[in-house]
Amino acid sequence: MSVTTTISSRIEYLPRSSRRMLVAAALLGYPVAVAVLVGLKHTSLNKWLILAVFLVIVLAVTVLVTVGYVYARGRIEGRCARLDERDLALRQQAYALSHRTLAVILIAVTAGLTIYLTGGNTVRLDANSFWPVVMWVVVYIPALPALMLAWIETDQPADV
Amino acid sequence: MSRKQLADKLGINYQTIGYIERGDYNPSLELALTIAGFFRLPVEAIFSLRPMSPLSSEVFGEPPSESR
Repeated sequence: MSVTTTISSRIEYLPRSSRRMLVAAALLGYPVAVAVLVGLKHTSLNKWLILAVFLVIVLAVTVLVTVGYVYARGRIEGRCARLDERDLALRQQAYALSHRTLAVILIAVTAGLTIYLTGGNTVRLDANSFWPVVMWVVVYIPALPALMLAWIETDQPADV
Repeated sequence: MSRKQLADKLGINYQTIGYIERGDYNPSLELALTIAGFFRLPVEAIFSLRPMSPLSSEVFGEPPSESR
């Protein structure tokens, strides 16, 4: 048995509580990384150290998102050779939950921005603020259904 | 027969068999009839709305209660 197969079969049997923690960490990881980067920029820390901290968090997020993809085993994109009726129902639930999650995030961001702008503040759209948003969209929008699948599926029955 | 063998015969994923056994997934009517057809049993012999009693108690009756 190859190492890859061992890792993927371990991921497949992750208990739901662990999966949910990984999904939450994956979703929060990138915003946290950006917040840490912005926060540390205003300190006297060495810029290479700041970059290293940012990259470590981004790497951890990449690993967590990959775990989500491995767990989904191609059931979201239809890469899986055979999707039975349970897989199809689960995929539908995962897409529905992704849509709801995305709607909540968009509404929260829009509401937050509206309140901020109503207070007489201004938002400057430059590379520093634009790229984190683009990266968030590029990383999370495609990964969200796989992460939601990992969130909702109950524990796998033990092999007999 | 293992879950994997049964799943291969029925054309579904082996995890689905486990989820059905555990009561975590209710199969469609089509899949329930396919499973019943595979075992050549009426569907109500395999699926029930109430918990099923063990086959041994169906055949041999309830074991005598231990009374002294």
